[in-house]
Amino acid sequence: MSFIQAILDGLLIGGVYAVISIGLTLVYGVMGIVNFAQAEFLTIGMFVAWFAWAFLGLDPVIAAPLSFAVAFAIGWIVQGQLIARVLTAPSVAQIFLTVGILIVIENGSLLLFGSQFRSVTTSYQTASLSLGPLFVSIPYLIAFAMSLLCGIALWWFMRASWFGRAMRATAQNPAAARLMGIDTALMYKVSFALGVGLTAFGGTVILPYVTVFPGVGGQFVVLMFTVVVLGGLGSVAGAVVGGLAVGVIQALSALFFPIQLQNLVLFVVFILVLAIRPQGLVGASR
Amino acid sequence: MKFRFTPCIAILALALLPLLLDPRGYWIRVLTITLLFAAMAQAWNIVGGLANQISLGHAAFFGIGAYASTVLLLKFGISPWLGMLAGGALGGLAALVIAIPTMRLQGHYFALATLAFGEVMRVIENVWTSLTGGPGGLSVPFVPPGFAAYSFKLLRPHAYIALIALLVVTAVFEMIRRSAMGYRLRGIRQNLPAAEVIGIDTTRVKLQAAVISGALTAMLGTLYAQLAVFFDPDTVFGIAGISIRIALIAIIGGVGTAVGPILGAFFIIPLEELMNDLLSSRAAGLSQLVFGIILIAVILWQPRGFVTVFVSLKARLSRREAR
Repeated sequence: MSFIQAILDGLLIGGVYAVISIGLTLVYGVMGIVNFAQAEFLTIGMFVAWFAWAFLGLDPVIAAPLSFAVAFAIGWIVQGQLIARVLTAPSVAQIFLTVGILIVIENGSLLLFGSQFRSVTTSYQTASLSLGPLFVSIPYLIAFAMSLLCGIALWWFMRASWFGRAMRATAQNPAAARLMGIDTALMYKVSFALGVGLTAFGGTVILPYVTVFPGVGGQFVVLMFTVVVLGGLGSVAGAVVGGLAVGVIQALSALFFPIQLQNLVLFVVFILVLAIRPQGLVGASR
Repeated sequence: MKFRFTPCIAILALALLPLLLDPRGYWIRVLTITLLFAAMAQAWNIVGGLANQISLGHAAFFGIGAYASTVLLLKFGISPWLGMLAGGALGGLAALVIAIPTMRLQGHYFALATLAFGEVMRVIENVWTSLTGGPGGLSVPFVPPGFAAYSFKLLRPHAYIALIALLVVTAVFEMIRRSAMGYRLRGIRQNLPAAEVIGIDTTRVKLQAAVISGALTAMLGTLYAQLAVFFDPDTVFGIAGISIRIALIAIIGGVGTAVGPILGAFFIIPLEELMNDLLSSRAAGLSQLVFGIILIAVILWQPRGFVTVFVSLKARLSRREAR
């Protein structure tokens, strides 16, 4: 029974991992840039939500759009002022520009907010539903539901809206997209801002069960990369599959191995997937 | 070989520098660390520069070297000089183990796989408490000073050992760069399918380069352990502190050239130390924040590294002479 319970918990947590990581894969899919600073926008989202809770009394679930908006605005500026300049530079320059952004955001938040751990208290924090012998943690469930909503909204945006189609066109062939009158620089800004906004959104909905501090993003870096590589770098649908898979792997390995080895299992899976199927489990990528 | 003026002057200056600094002071330590990081970035350059395989996991080899010599010294009283050789062998072996599955990967994928490998090593050393002391770290035991025991009262010998290490690693890099292997590696960087078509066993060349780079990095880990005297897994296997910093130094300086890593190290390490010295008393995070901003500025200004500045300067000067 604990096996099924672990799978259930893993799926609920994995849904959030999917939303956190979609941004990473979206940016790669559209621009071919691996954003090492992506996880720092999770930190930003969590801090925004924490302050919204502490000073305005907003529940993290309600503050999630606010976090999204703040990260979106920062992402817009970062893309327009920094990333846009290295789009044609060697990949080492791209990697290390985003590493520089990572260092700036992490230490900027340390400078602004200090190193203490902050958490929120909500009425549902310790509540859970019982489904026969299984328990469904309410904060996990809410975070999962919010992620699902967010994922559906994104899917609609990419499928049905003009912007979404223009973004996909830019990803497929920037030169052809430009000839069709699409402002590709604008599309890059939208996709980067949207990507980091989604990560911040994901960070906010996990705030009821994760404490926030300046280094919290760092704990998610390898996890996010595992999710997107499992699903295939650049594939949004793959990130959903990858997120759920990583959640389940984590929950199951916690069942069989001591807690310190939890990440080790993840890393080994990550390296194996890279070695055996670098195009991801879902396959169809660039 | 033709006598080259500039490198000889640079080596002479570096050899005299430790004599000018206070042997108990802060700056000789900074110099030693700078030389060590220059050597590490040079070892990274063999794979990262020549074959353009950007490794973000070199801390794995560095940490292996630091732990190998210290554990051998603690448990069996073996001199760190021999421990360094053992560490080098283990580092080379680890490089082989990770190179085999990641061999076919390129660009971002290779960077990510090596990043994860570094983390695997960090987690293992943290958990394997009976051997490594776990998160609490290891102290290099005190032994009576002497060259054979690799124990010195002052920092000056450490500075010279680091300088010799840098010269040796640079010589290895230059030898590889000029040899047939160097051409094969550059062939892989420029066009992998073409390199295979003309008959290069690309897998074998990549493995050779990875093992040499890993072994050298591990040996430098021993030098670090003897200098630092105390270290823990999160320091020697650190992503930001070691892996990224090594790659960064080579990239800021200019990848694929012998001077690049040295320029990069002499820019980054003293800059960081200066910043810590000036700013860390003000507020936590400020010095690293400024460091990050400078890093972004440098990459936007010179995405191909400082070497290009020198190359274009040189070209401009020689053009002027030609007139």
